[in-house]
Amino acid sequence: MLSIPALKQFAREGARILSAEADLAQFELYCSSAEQLVMRLNYTSDIPSNGLEECKSIGADGFAIRIVPRRNLHEIGTSFIAGDLSGGAIREALARARRAAVIDPHFPGLPDAPRRLRLDANGAGGDLMRAGSARLVETAWEIVGGAIHAFARKTPAGNERQGLIVGGDLSLTRDRFAIASSNFDEVRAEQAAYFSSSVTAIVEALDTRGTATALGASLPGLRRMVPPLGREAVLRALALKQGEQPAPGRHRVLLGPQPIAEILCYLVVPSLTTGAFYASNSAYHGRFGDRVMDERLSIADEPAARGRALARRITCEGLPARRSQLIRDGRLVGLLSNFYDAHRLAHDEHRSEKLGPQAPANPVFPAASGYRLGEGGGRRFDSAPATAATNVVMRARGGVGERELIAAVGNGIYVGRVWYTYPINGQRAGDFTCTITGDSYLIRNGEIAAPLRPNALRINANLDEIFGSPVALGKRVEPVTVWGAPEMFYMPATVAEAVSLSAVGAGD
Amino acid sequence: MASHDLFEAVDFLRREGEELLRRFARAHRGVSYADLRFEAVFHRSCVANDGEARESLENESASFGVTVWVDGAPAVAPAPPGAENFIGTGQYGAEIGRLALHRNRLVAALRFGLNEAYQRARASARAGTALRRRRGLESLGSAAGGGLRFAPVRDDVPAAFRDDPRTLDPEALKRIAREASAGARGVSSAIAYNAVAALSELRRELFVSTHGAAITQAFAFSQGDCYVVAQTPRGHQETYDTIGQQRGFEALADGWSGDLQPNPGLVAFAVAMAREAAELADAPVLKPPASEVTVVTDPHFNALLAHEIVGHPSEADRALKMEAAYAGRSWLLRSPAVSEIGKQIGSPMLSACSDPTLAGYGHYRYDHEGTPGRRVMHIDRGTFRGFLNSRMTAAILDAEPNGSARATAACYVPLIRMSNTFFMAGADDPAKIIGEVEHGYYVCGSQIPSIAESRENFRISARRVYEIEHGRLGRLYRSGSVLGDSKRFFMNVDAVGSDLRLIAIPNCGKGQPMQAKRMSNGGPTLRSLARLAGG
Repeated sequence: MLSIPALKQFAREGARILSAEADLAQFELYCSSAEQLVMRLNYTSDIPSNGLEECKSIGADGFAIRIVPRRNLHEIGTSFIAGDLSGGAIREALARARRAAVIDPHFPGLPDAPRRLRLDANGAGGDLMRAGSARLVETAWEIVGGAIHAFARKTPAGNERQGLIVGGDLSLTRDRFAIASSNFDEVRAEQAAYFSSSVTAIVEALDTRGTATALGASLPGLRRMVPPLGREAVLRALALKQGEQPAPGRHRVLLGPQPIAEILCYLVVPSLTTGAFYASNSAYHGRFGDRVMDERLSIADEPAARGRALARRITCEGLPARRSQLIRDGRLVGLLSNFYDAHRLAHDEHRSEKLGPQAPANPVFPAASGYRLGEGGGRRFDSAPATAATNVVMRARGGVGERELIAAVGNGIYVGRVWYTYPINGQRAGDFTCTITGDSYLIRNGEIAAPLRPNALRINANLDEIFGSPVALGKRVEPVTVWGAPEMFYMPATVAEAVSLSAVGAGD
Repeated sequence: MASHDLFEAVDFLRREGEELLRRFARAHRGVSYADLRFEAVFHRSCVANDGEARESLENESASFGVTVWVDGAPAVAPAPPGAENFIGTGQYGAEIGRLALHRNRLVAALRFGLNEAYQRARASARAGTALRRRRGLESLGSAAGGGLRFAPVRDDVPAAFRDDPRTLDPEALKRIAREASAGARGVSSAIAYNAVAALSELRRELFVSTHGAAITQAFAFSQGDCYVVAQTPRGHQETYDTIGQQRGFEALADGWSGDLQPNPGLVAFAVAMAREAAELADAPVLKPPASEVTVVTDPHFNALLAHEIVGHPSEADRALKMEAAYAGRSWLLRSPAVSEIGKQIGSPMLSACSDPTLAGYGHYRYDHEGTPGRRVMHIDRGTFRGFLNSRMTAAILDAEPNGSARATAACYVPLIRMSNTFFMAGADDPAKIIGEVEHGYYVCGSQIPSIAESRENFRISARRVYEIEHGRLGRLYRSGSVLGDSKRFFMNVDAVGSDLRLIAIPNCGKGQPMQAKRMSNGGPTLRSLARLAGG
């Protein structure tokens, strides 16, 4: 990976070249160096497997430019180039950006924040920046070995063919970037690194599934938290034993942190953006300022909070990455935004209808969430600035412990893990569906009574049914990752009344 | 030596790549196999919102990926008698862009990547061998080694296009995106928002291996995406769809009239999408019947059904539990000894296959392991026949490799992917299929899928649902979806239309990190039984 000084030097050199172009009113140069290392776990006791299926990395170094010609301040040209941080590459990028330029009447110019930011470019994850891939390979094998060992200890001899599956991954994401702009006084730069590991253990003979997850931003954290995950996932799977399948219908349901994270990831967070309100596809269309959840619930995006896996202090637009309070005491009070979308919504002639009657007359949406992220979640020069959350934290006022939550259910279902959660009728409708895949139990008389058979029930519900008037809320927030999502989620459990569950057949 | 054309790097590595790999393998103890994938891509795109251009991009990129196998025995420790050696695998991928213009720097980057992959493979072989010994797990780490049972291929495959993406006038792409978006906006005051994207792309790929393969393939892609939000006092509707061909810009400008996967021009497509969204926003939400009903599903809906319920569970990596933590397993295989192969899982009228040799969006000649792609029958007159596989999964299943391992870009690791995967045509007239229904529903267009973990159950939302009364289409509803158990739905198919059509799928996600892949899915009109759900 390229160093921060190298990136800053290139950004300065690029700014010098671009500022000499007399026809440019504004320019921005963003350069980044990113790497994601992924160790994919794949152990199957009854099928030949490699234990670690992929020990891989994906990296990219490069830069993007955005230019605004003097002839029209609503004209924007964009291009990016990989693998060449030279003056010649900047001139090539400039020629491409000129060819690609379009006139967009909503384009407000490039982000403008001339005040000097006091930033130390050396962000979180310094020791993870230096971690070699051999260390990750060994740690990943420790996960697999721990799972196999725990399974062998807990299952009777001669009964090995129970179909143990250990899957998941250990991933390390690290990125560095620097940004220079005609609108900034200085080159701004930051680096970050974090790890995530999610392990799934399935025992097919028992039809059970257990999971374990760790997130962090330090090498000691990785060494401490990750190796036991295989063992933990196996023990959770074995604890479930043979599950029961309740009758379909409406049930009182305790949704654990993972299902709540999926619902937030696929429905709530995408609806809490200025882009969604502009496009009239937010689940909270016309409800800005209204109570959209139970008044005990609050949601914020916390890009730089202590103790969270992701640490971002500058957005990929060079602006301060601030905490965004999105829902406070159940009321929708803020939206995530990048610079372009914030401006577009603020000047939209239909803004009043889109935000709704409770919105302030001239709402301000800080552009505190504009990121260029690749598939693995790292900063990438070859992605356009888009709105994204970082560490999404849901808090519940008056939350209670797990025992009280289970007691509050009385008779119902604890849902620990769901899968394929999607807005089935479009985002704005707020309807979603998913299946319950594991880590779940039946609750009877306020106590865990029996495991729930995985893949036996489908949830068909609406956001209001889950968050509108929950029966009880958990006080502890737990870290969760969602497959394919760049955000980290810190979620409490929630008890919802009368959630519709339909049966999943056995395929016959 | 420097070049001015990234695509020339493909020719350079076609000449020099094999020797580079051979030298690397000779110089590194225990290397039993290595391959190199490289690609150069020229991409031009434009996005327009509500009739105004939003962003345009011209980009040329290059990336590579290398895979190295290290035999655990010579490098680390001998395998026990009778057991195969542990094979450690390592991969390295990078987006290198213009670095590929400089041959010395390109070769240095490849060597660095090979060495990194080697170190990972070696570390994995060491740790895996120790675990195998400690726990007596003889099958651990031998899966990779079974995949080299075929003759390596050497071939060069050109792209098909009329309008070369690399010489396309950038203004033509901007214009068509803007006009399509403006056309959609102009349909009705009910159109609250629309986004139209147009792209034209040329890719040239290389695959070389120490096994003797040397293949280049080129692909032209043209794609148009349209997303529309409509709202009326009665409701709102979000609708999106894609047209795409492995052709040049002509497929967007003029439309495409191929039998299997025709599409209108992008402007007409966007206008039709907007009209449909406006009509649906004014339609009532489906109030679903309480019990199972007769459903007639159209080719567009069946494209998503084929994708989720035939294609994905027929991927051998998923069936062999390698995707269990992400995309789930497959109800078609419990274990290599217990599967649905040879068993009836559908009506005798129902057949389905994947065929990369057809001219759909998922066409290719060779996969990214160098295996020729060929037609794979999944369901033959109701009987399940087989899986899409890679070299390794073919060896585990004792099947012939069928060329289905593909990556989104050269820097990603190949996964087992669909190609053109579809229900095959029957003999029934689609109008007759509807005309025979006394009471039921005609389900048209697909929106969002949600699938059970092993794909044994699904809920897929439709764009339009019409009530059928006495063989005639009645009222239109929105927000309807089909809920079904996969096998029961397939077994109850009692009519299969002659109107087979493929749909371009732009972004099927799989893997960690996620790889979004282009492909085609489709089918003819089908009739079966299912439950419906509303909004």
